Amino acid sequence: MAEVVIEGLTKRFGAVTAVDGVSLTVGSGELVSLLGPSGCGKTTTLNCLAGLERPDAGRILAAGEILADADRRFFLPPERRQLGMVFQSYALWPHMTVADNIAYGLRTRRIPEAQIRQQTDEVLRLVQLEGMGNRYPHQLSGGQQQRVALARALVYQPRILLLDEPLSNLDAKLREHARVWLRDLQQRLRITAVYVTHDQVEALSLSDRIAVMSAGRIVQLGRPREIYERPADRFVADFIGQASFLPGEVIARDGHMVRIRLAAGHELRVQSSQAWTPGQAVLVVVRPERVVLADGPTDNVLTGAVRSHVYLGARHQYLVDIGGLEVRLEAAEELPPGPVRLHIPPHAATLLPHGSA
Amino acid sequence: MLEAARLPAAAGGRTDVPLQWGIGLLAVVLVLFPLAPILYQSVLARPLYEPERVLSLQNYARILASPEFHAAALNSLAVAGATTVLAVGLGTLLAVLVMRTDLPLRGLLGSLIMSPLYISPLVLAFAWVTMFGPQGYVTIALRAATGADPWNLYSLPGIVAVSIFYYAPFAYLNAVASLSLSDPTVEDAARVAGAPPLRVLATVTLPLLRPAVTYSALLVGISSLELLSIPLILGTPSGIDTLATLLVKFGVMGGRPDYGGVAAVAVILLAVVTLLILVQERLIGAGQRFVTVRGKAVAPRPLAIGPLRLVALALGLAYVLLGVVVPLGGILLRSVVGFLSPLANPLDSLTLEHYALVFQTESYRRSITNSLLIAGVGGGAGILFMTLLALVAYRSELGWRRILGFVALYPRAIPGLIVGIGFLWSFLLIPRLGGLRNTVLALAIAFIMRYIPYGFSVIAPTLTRVSRELDSAARVCGDDWAGTVRRVLLPVLRPAILTGWVLLFITFLKEYSSAVFLFARGSEVMGTTMLELWRQGDMGPVSVLAALQVLLILAVTLVMRYAFGVRFHG
Repeated sequence: MAEVVIEGLTKRFGAVTAVDGVSLTVGSGELVSLLGPSGCGKTTTLNCLAGLERPDAGRILAAGEILADADRRFFLPPERRQLGMVFQSYALWPHMTVADNIAYGLRTRRIPEAQIRQQTDEVLRLVQLEGMGNRYPHQLSGGQQQRVALARALVYQPRILLLDEPLSNLDAKLREHARVWLRDLQQRLRITAVYVTHDQVEALSLSDRIAVMSAGRIVQLGRPREIYERPADRFVADFIGQASFLPGEVIARDGHMVRIRLAAGHELRVQSSQAWTPGQAVLVVVRPERVVLADGPTDNVLTGAVRSHVYLGARHQYLVDIGGLEVRLEAAEELPPGPVRLHIPPHAATLLPHGSA
Repeated sequence: MLEAARLPAAAGGRTDVPLQWGIGLLAVVLVLFPLAPILYQSVLARPLYEPERVLSLQNYARILASPEFHAAALNSLAVAGATTVLAVGLGTLLAVLVMRTDLPLRGLLGSLIMSPLYISPLVLAFAWVTMFGPQGYVTIALRAATGADPWNLYSLPGIVAVSIFYYAPFAYLNAVASLSLSDPTVEDAARVAGAPPLRVLATVTLPLLRPAVTYSALLVGISSLELLSIPLILGTPSGIDTLATLLVKFGVMGGRPDYGGVAAVAVILLAVVTLLILVQERLIGAGQRFVTVRGKAVAPRPLAIGPLRLVALALGLAYVLLGVVVPLGGILLRSVVGFLSPLANPLDSLTLEHYALVFQTESYRRSITNSLLIAGVGGGAGILFMTLLALVAYRSELGWRRILGFVALYPRAIPGLIVGIGFLWSFLLIPRLGGLRNTVLALAIAFIMRYIPYGFSVIAPTLTRVSRELDSAARVCGDDWAGTVRRVLLPVLRPAILTGWVLLFITFLKEYSSAVFLFARGSEVMGTTMLELWRQGDMGPVSVLAALQVLLILAVTLVMRYAFGVRFHG
């Protein structure tokens, strides 16, 4: 199968640099998500891969073949790249039937009609839309349209599948189902895929690896668990999931255990493999679900008062005021009234240098 | 299935770049084709077909010093100014009355007010002459009753009067579009806040119309400045010239055409109109160039204006009767009677002799078939070219495609007469193209060039609503640009292309001003034949051609509306 290599990709629109020196390798059969807020350059990166945008700098290779090389002013147009792409709006052609939509890529390749029919039927079966070939796109539900778009992208056996927020037009329940189905299909076909999304849950649950993007750059690249549990900076921690950010100062370091004094005066011990020096300003990052109510332990305990409470059905969300610092907390049960004691396990927090972002 | 051998990549795409360059260059050449020789001639001392070419500014000096030019310029400004104020005022007022008040017979009045949109100003001028001219039916009736001439249509006020009825529908249409897009609940809010209906109209409805009024004023101002037919028909008999009629006088009517004078006047007119268009762009903003007109599901509550509605009804009926029903009815009637006068019962002289004359005279008959040919085939070719141009301008990788949006809209600044003069002179300058001269093809090309902005403005807004992902998807699927255009974009744009074709058909059928200089024996069109017949004083056949033009346009509009659902507005 095909490996994708992006080297130093840069794309400018006038004075705005949409993609700023992005480098990324997607292994054969791997699914990598480009995750970030709108305007971070993820869709532009995907469009450069597809050949819909011409890069200003950098190279793109697929399966060892150069698709674009700005230095040599080489640029392969999209129709010569052998890619499949699913668009956010699905982009089904309204004047063609489902079968004609799917067969489009085969007809441009001048495949005999008999083979076209056979392959169209096969791919319709693959996306569980047997017998729907004669319908028009507007006669299908959103979920069905999404699967036609996928079938259209897969039918000519592209080397790489590009997906641009393919699930964002589905409603919440359907999206969850489609996510599982899509991941399953990608794994069965073992096709290399690049997936653009702004939805962190989607990225965490679908991807082999995630590239978190901000302002045209990749700020962190890693497996979903790594991204969530060891965010590289405040932006990543803030964008993916929720977190409390507690400013403090390193007092001492003992192997992998770092002692921190928080701005509020409390002391915390945090596990970290990085080399911190005493006196360094840091941020302690804690996920709300990792904070526990301190019944037993006396170590790493913060005492404070509940500032606000939101009832979420299955869980309760609290904002606790610890000497002027805010700690988010998610608990299965309602807290008793009065002061609360919170325990932050040393391995549950991450340290970031303060002022980094 | 994916175990099958990988399919080959699509070949193709080799034609894309030459195709895009070809379409883009064709547009640029087409627009420059008539402009270049006029600019060149304006600084030549002698006619441009003469071998000896000396650069000089004497044409400008001569024209700027000539009292004839001063008078014509002043007349043009006076007509354009008065027409703009009165037509925009009247059109906007009628729109508010029809759209927002409980005026009786609103629907009927609405469609009658707009009907002059489908009529050539040439036909409208002839219709007015038939009824309100010095020998017109109404004029004679009033003269017989009072013993004095009630008015003189062959005067500046006469020109302005007819122009008002020609231009008011444009202002009406813009105001209606703006009113139907604006949220009627803002008026409800004013009512709830305690404002009586007239106060709501004055304090909420009218101020919200300001952008539409500005747009209309510039549109009408620019167009009435260059309008030829109404001043030509009504001004010539009493020696009133405007810049447009001056061009005709210098160019065709005199024994020897004054090339330098024509070019200098044309360049001056071109400069003024270009300047006004730049002002329009500044005021309205580039995005407003395509004012999309679409209805809204919310039906506004008409404001009850009490007894005033009867005054308003009187105004509306007077307008429609005077400006539309009487003149158009008159010219239709004129075509089937020997002579039209209140002193005799027209039914006594019922005759088809004018129709027989038109259909039996080869050149008259040919002008009808030529017009239909240019409108049908030329309009079809035109809309295809304009669609491809819009596709290159908005959906291609051509490096200089952004210039094309400007190129496509620039012909708005070129008055029709100047288009005709320019094409004629280009044919004179380039002997190889001499074969095109005096052919229907030359007229069709000139008409297409002049109306690129029309077709472009129908296609471009639709195209911007067609998601770019539709063509991206085709490209990623392996199709090149040309294939994507043919298989995806043209089919998706089909309704807009059909609408554009009908619009061009009607426009080409009405067109005469760019043909005045360009037509020859064999390439007559209805407009030029009407002008010829009018010069001979033969109003019978003129009204036949006018009636045929009106009926043809009416038929096409109705067929397209009911058979294909094509509508231009509302």
